Amino acid sequence: MSLAATLMTMLGVLWIGGGSVWLLTRRSYKLVQVPSFLMDLVGFPVEYAQSIWGRGGVPYALLLPNMLIFGLFTFVPMILNFYVSFTGGTSILLFNRPWVGLQQYADIFSCETIFEPRTCSNAGFSFWTGMFNTLWFVVIQVPVLCVVALVTALVVNKNIRGRGFWRAMFFYPVMLSPVVIANIWNWVLHRKGVLNEMIGGTRDQLSVMAGMTGFDIVMTVLLAVVLMVVSERALRSSDTPSLAWTTIFGALLALLFGWANPLSLIGLGGSFWLGGALALGLVLIVSSESRHARISIIVAGILSAALLISIQFDAVFDFGRYRPINWLVQPNTGWPFFWLVFVFTWSHMGFYMLILLAGLQAIPSDLYEAARMDATRPARAFWRITLPLIMPTLTVVLVLALIRSFQIFDEVYLLTGGGPGRETFMIVQNIYEVAFTNNNKDYGEGAAGSVLMAVVIAIFTFFQLWITRRQSEL
Amino acid sequence: MLDRLGTFLTRTAGNKDTAERFGMADFLAYGYLLLGVLIVLVPVLWTFFSSIKPERAVDSFDTRLLPIAQVQTEIEGIGTKPEWIHEAEDGGERKVFKAGPTRKETDVAPIEDPGDVFKVPRTQLRPSEEVRVATENYLDPLLKRHGQENFTFGIYLFNSIFVTAMATLITLIINAMAAFALSKYRFRGRLTFTILIVATLLIPSSIILVSLFFVVWSFGIFGSLWGVIIPAAATPTGVFLLRQYMLTIPDELLEAARMDAASEWRIFWRIVMPLSLPALSVLAILSVIWRWNDFLWPLIVLISDPEKHTIQLGLTQYAGEFDTDFHYILAMTVVSLIPITLVFVWLQRFITTGIATTGLK
Repeated sequence: MSLAATLMTMLGVLWIGGGSVWLLTRRSYKLVQVPSFLMDLVGFPVEYAQSIWGRGGVPYALLLPNMLIFGLFTFVPMILNFYVSFTGGTSILLFNRPWVGLQQYADIFSCETIFEPRTCSNAGFSFWTGMFNTLWFVVIQVPVLCVVALVTALVVNKNIRGRGFWRAMFFYPVMLSPVVIANIWNWVLHRKGVLNEMIGGTRDQLSVMAGMTGFDIVMTVLLAVVLMVVSERALRSSDTPSLAWTTIFGALLALLFGWANPLSLIGLGGSFWLGGALALGLVLIVSSESRHARISIIVAGILSAALLISIQFDAVFDFGRYRPINWLVQPNTGWPFFWLVFVFTWSHMGFYMLILLAGLQAIPSDLYEAARMDATRPARAFWRITLPLIMPTLTVVLVLALIRSFQIFDEVYLLTGGGPGRETFMIVQNIYEVAFTNNNKDYGEGAAGSVLMAVVIAIFTFFQLWITRRQSEL
Repeated sequence: MLDRLGTFLTRTAGNKDTAERFGMADFLAYGYLLLGVLIVLVPVLWTFFSSIKPERAVDSFDTRLLPIAQVQTEIEGIGTKPEWIHEAEDGGERKVFKAGPTRKETDVAPIEDPGDVFKVPRTQLRPSEEVRVATENYLDPLLKRHGQENFTFGIYLFNSIFVTAMATLITLIINAMAAFALSKYRFRGRLTFTILIVATLLIPSSIILVSLFFVVWSFGIFGSLWGVIIPAAATPTGVFLLRQYMLTIPDELLEAARMDAASEWRIFWRIVMPLSLPALSVLAILSVIWRWNDFLWPLIVLISDPEKHTIQLGLTQYAGEFDTDFHYILAMTVVSLIPITLVFVWLQRFITTGIATTGLK
């Protein structure tokens, strides 16, 4: 019989037998009071504590079960982690494990340089690969998650029809289990899956359209009209340009840059990103209500007209045959990593959205009314009222998202399994594989990895809290 | 006229004074929501629609929405054959089946007259199709037909429900007890206990995996469902959530009960618990979500014994074994997302408002 079973039996006999006797000798129960008796029996230790130590003993008795579980299954493992990380061997019995001192840490650190995991020992290689992948993941994931959650919260906080439904819809993926999520996205992202099918179909249709005569002229005229309408709309209002229309204009500008590819004249790629940067700059200028907002929109308009004339649309839209991409398996494309970020955002965003939504609703509405009285533009109201007041909540969300994405395991393990190669291999997977799935289960190394990971998480969290210390609510 | 039509189409909810015109911002908002539908709901619905397609349609990655299958007909003396439609040059159509291997010139015979074999060019044949919901995707694994004996759904469901219900029950009771102690009593060490609980909030579960394994092993609950239930039963989130709520219960109620000589446990059980029902139900929902979807810890503790697998583990194993049987995997994915979806649809208003107003993870 195991230790736990013996203890539990003894405790059970004492609790149920002793408790019944104790209660029945002191209190009288009628037959209808059986449920009440059972409940008293559940709380027997508390009753007993009260009878011995009086009311002063009750809180300790109430705290006991919770603290027992915290102690045994959180604090003891926390300390034990250090001990295990100093021992070697594969034994599962703590006292049979030989003391190896700092050997496990030395293994992990035995690299020429830790920034090049290839130069490490085996243990060091998988640890540092996992660590750097995880750091990359966190650095990309946390801002993406926060921005998407904030935008969604702002949208569902608006006076729109069916708000309850939209909130529920965005929250729904949080309820799904990682296995279900992985199966769904595996199915969608399969090489012959529906995503590739949709992309292929759209491209084929566009190619056919682009092959028709006069497509170039029609496209140019159409886009010119759209651009004129959008820029006119952006400039229409009397004082400062409209932010919403400027955003659309910026998106169009980035597209035009991508298509016209002006950087190819000097032999460089990445025109689209240049366009995107310009568009972002334009939006920032307009949202900061600078004096130069109007003139910069006009300049961008002239620029876009020049770009528009230089584009050969039938060449742009002739895609040729589409070769389906194996989204989760193709190495050296960055797609597996991208989809990981995407699926993680998909499945966790709803939770952070709800927290931010609660923060948004706590902002007193008379602030916005006052802003409206002063004819403040919505963008300005966002930067000056919403953002500063949501900052405490946003800090909480940042910290939670950081800790959460550091521990990413389920989604990676089920979607890519850490592959292709080691591109999406994360730190928790390293710990899991080292300690639990290898043939010789190396608990010591797993524990050493956990300790190092805890150190990194602690540094990150404190760093983040220090940066946002003025807004912090934690 | 056109002006009034424009007003009619762009006005939003509210009376004449509060209603605003449908502006650019609203347009963008609805665009965003539409994108949300596309990204959030469409993959789930697509999985569902794929799961009711017959095996052949799933294997050939048929991307039509409806479950379309080739008709299979029983032909006397030959057996079940897929049905094809032969389109002759004069435009006439006949239902045929293939009597030989598919070549450029294929041997076919009409369904009504299986003896009359003739040759037709392959290009003149197209499959004869019908819309059929493939219930066998669901029924085969659930009823263990056709060699699908590895997905013991009943056991998985029982284990999942047992773990979820037990863990939630224990979590509720012990967290409420701790919260009651911390909110309604003044005693030595209250601050220490509070700080200890805050500290556990900052210890992520995945950094104590290895040593937690040692602890659970030495208690002898490794490999049993209790090894999953007990370690996570005390949640700092739960204690804080309940404590904040219990602080709002007036002390006079407790004093009145003490006047009537009620014991402290009875006060807890008869007064404090019923009054904190809103907070308790939020914690219950959170706990159900956490336990039902838990993956990494059950993977470590329960993986070696198929009798102890929860739904999540069972589904993972199943998907790993039958990497190519997508139709079964999809169907079982849908089966395992149904319970939580039903709970969500039923309680969604409650869940979203509850978490928004009280909850952090």
